[in-house]
Amino acid sequence: MNVLLGLSHWLGHTHLGIFVRDSSYAFPAIEMLHLIALAVFGGSILLVDLRFLNLGFKTQTIQAVARELLPLTVGGVAAMAISGVLMYAGSPMRYFHNPAFQVKMALFVIALFVHFSLQILAARSKSLPPSRTRLFRTAAVASLLLWFAIGFSGRVIGYL
Amino acid sequence: MPTLQHISEWIYTTHLSTSIRQSPYSFPAIETIHTLGIAAVVGTVAILDLRLLGLVMKKEPVSRIARQLLPWTWAGFAVMFVTGLLLWIAESQTSYSNWAFRTKMVLLLLVGINPLIFHLTIYRKVNTWDLANVTPLRARLTAVSSLVLWAGIIVFGRLIAYVNS
Repeated sequence: MNVLLGLSHWLGHTHLGIFVRDSSYAFPAIEMLHLIALAVFGGSILLVDLRFLNLGFKTQTIQAVARELLPLTVGGVAAMAISGVLMYAGSPMRYFHNPAFQVKMALFVIALFVHFSLQILAARSKSLPPSRTRLFRTAAVASLLLWFAIGFSGRVIGYL
Repeated sequence: MPTLQHISEWIYTTHLSTSIRQSPYSFPAIETIHTLGIAAVVGTVAILDLRLLGLVMKKEPVSRIARQLLPWTWAGFAVMFVTGLLLWIAESQTSYSNWAFRTKMVLLLLVGINPLIFHLTIYRKVNTWDLANVTPLRARLTAVSSLVLWAGIIVFGRLIAYVNS
């Protein structure tokens, strides 16, 4: 925790942090980019998970959907992480002690692992044995619930 | 125009409107679901747009992608529409005079016309370019305007709250 606290203090005092804090347009502008990234990311995550659940894109294999949408899910999460860090840099201490933010970050780490380990595994597989079906279905449900909860706690940050 | 203003003011006084405003949780909860509905709509639309631009799922026919995405786009649209309506009911009076809200409504209208033109024109001949990596110019133009319009809708949607205060 001390490392994170130190890092947060440092981030808040960088040129970037001071710029985001002092500009009246920087925060809303970054927030809008965060939301545009959310739309692309959320939609592609939804479609990957729907394919894992056998509910969408059935004309393509699980591997093909996972592979084709990997640039969108990875690019989307990267754009969200970068814009997220920028918003955080503007006033780190406001977020550091915010329970909704803490919940969001904890869930984010779990979701990153759960979703991307499965999507990358699928994208790299030549063929998937039928025994894997249940693993993918469970992971898809977990992924959808986790990302939903992350979106929800993200919105709560602003209200706490 | 005054008619719209009168309707907005009347809606504002309804029981539903005041109850959403008075509850500390309703508005943010509906807003979150609204945002996730938009993500479903824009995300699925963006994937079709990127296919039209030849950037993803190049081996899959355009029509097959469109057909499979559509139910989810409509599901997201239903969520976005119902929650959006509720948010508007809660804030109808302030929304009416809010320029970001007005801009968003115009962009929504345009983003609806866009696929309409697409389906009535170039998409009718989709069987001639279904498998093309790079689709006809008019299809690519539709894709670009769709992406730009949706980004604008998100930007102006977020602006509504900043303009209000």
